[in-house]
Amino acid sequence: MVKLEFEHRQAGHCESGVTSNLLNYYNYKISEPMAFGIGAGLFFSYLPFMKMQHAPTTSFRVWPGMIFERATKMLGVKTMVHHFKDPKESMTKLNEVLEQGYPVGLQVGTFHLPFFPPEYRMHYNMHNMVVYGHDNGTYFISDTLMEKLVEISYDDLMRVRYAKGTFAPQGRMYYPVYVPKEIDIKPAIISGIRKTAYNMSGVPFPLVGAKGIRYLSRRMRKWEKNLGPEKASYYLGQVLRMEEEVGTAGAGFRFIYGAFLDEASLVLNQDWLKEMSIEMGENANKWREFSYYGSRNCKKRGKPDQSYDFLADMLLECADREEKIFKKLAKIK
Amino acid sequence: MSEENANIEQAENGLLYKYNREMFYHFDREKGYTREIDYQISENQTIIKQSWDAAEQRLEGVRQRIIAGRLSPIAYYMEKALMEVPILAAYMEMSKWRIRWHLTPKGFKNLKPEILEKYASVFGIPVEEMKHPNF
Repeated sequence: MVKLEFEHRQAGHCESGVTSNLLNYYNYKISEPMAFGIGAGLFFSYLPFMKMQHAPTTSFRVWPGMIFERATKMLGVKTMVHHFKDPKESMTKLNEVLEQGYPVGLQVGTFHLPFFPPEYRMHYNMHNMVVYGHDNGTYFISDTLMEKLVEISYDDLMRVRYAKGTFAPQGRMYYPVYVPKEIDIKPAIISGIRKTAYNMSGVPFPLVGAKGIRYLSRRMRKWEKNLGPEKASYYLGQVLRMEEEVGTAGAGFRFIYGAFLDEASLVLNQDWLKEMSIEMGENANKWREFSYYGSRNCKKRGKPDQSYDFLADMLLECADREEKIFKKLAKIK
Repeated sequence: MSEENANIEQAENGLLYKYNREMFYHFDREKGYTREIDYQISENQTIIKQSWDAAEQRLEGVRQRIIAGRLSPIAYYMEKALMEVPILAAYMEMSKWRIRWHLTPKGFKNLKPEILEKYASVFGIPVEEMKHPNF
């Protein structure tokens, strides 16, 4: 029987929430947006050749695991990450680590997760949560999406840790082992902003960053003609689901990132970052407007409320705003 | 027209999913960044529902094709579990082509009992139901 004193704080996004909560356990106070920003979590990519739930994949964040890895590395926190082939071995190791007194972050699939909201139970393998104790085959879980602390049985936990499909977790577990007493957060923030600025405006590849948004906008104009109204609205719905559904805190992480810039301006004492955060917030509101009009199209499948051209124009505006913001942010010193 | 408006209004007031409240961030020029814990707003719930409706429609399509004798019951349970061939292949630890063969009535007829049992355990249903699906 182990039950650590773990403080459960709800968060907008699972991975940055887990990172922030895990560090909080070691008395290092870091907010969720800060963890997200230092981990350079913001991203955009539209991959028409990779289908998920029968529609192209749109992603508003970096690969799973990157935020935790980057944020802890930049802060000088030492961590352990394990993968296992054998499910039983992974559970034994989990028990061992818990008994040593470390809360453990896990990557899991959401389809078989019993406490998860039923409407989200799809084959989505990039969810993160923290185990903070176990007792006789029951595990105590802090999931940042949930309002309360939850429990899960041994068999169920093993099942979700070995979910299959894209980004299969393969029993991935991670935990900080050493948190330095004095952490200089400033270089970490600057490096995080630089990395995100590069990802969003500097990658020479058409499907990612601001270029990716423009590409999506170009494709969107053709959807109704090429796919028919029914499928076009389903494709649009898929973009919106990735933008607003499970743990993005709204507008595809743009709000969290804005909050991070707001906090960063105070820490770094640079006023222009405050202006950037306001611009980011307005950009996020634009994204939310896009999802508002888009969802009306999804509701009336046959005859769309707004034309796809209108929505595509909205995306173009978002792309322009983001490119402008990140080109400025790339010059941070 | 008035009826349509009433429908929209009703959908806006009544939320479909009230299982759990999540955290959301908001931005306002005056107030700055704020956080609140609430249910998903009804617009977002619409798009979540859309995907479940689409899944239901696909399931119905598969059901019709099984009745017409063009697919095996495995296709039904695969669709019901929201799976696609690559995911099912990973759970079954088999090649995708073998799974595709099992999706045809011919391939299903000659299935070995132990493989059928494995399918049943992946879908979490009794073996009998695999052979005589009730839908």
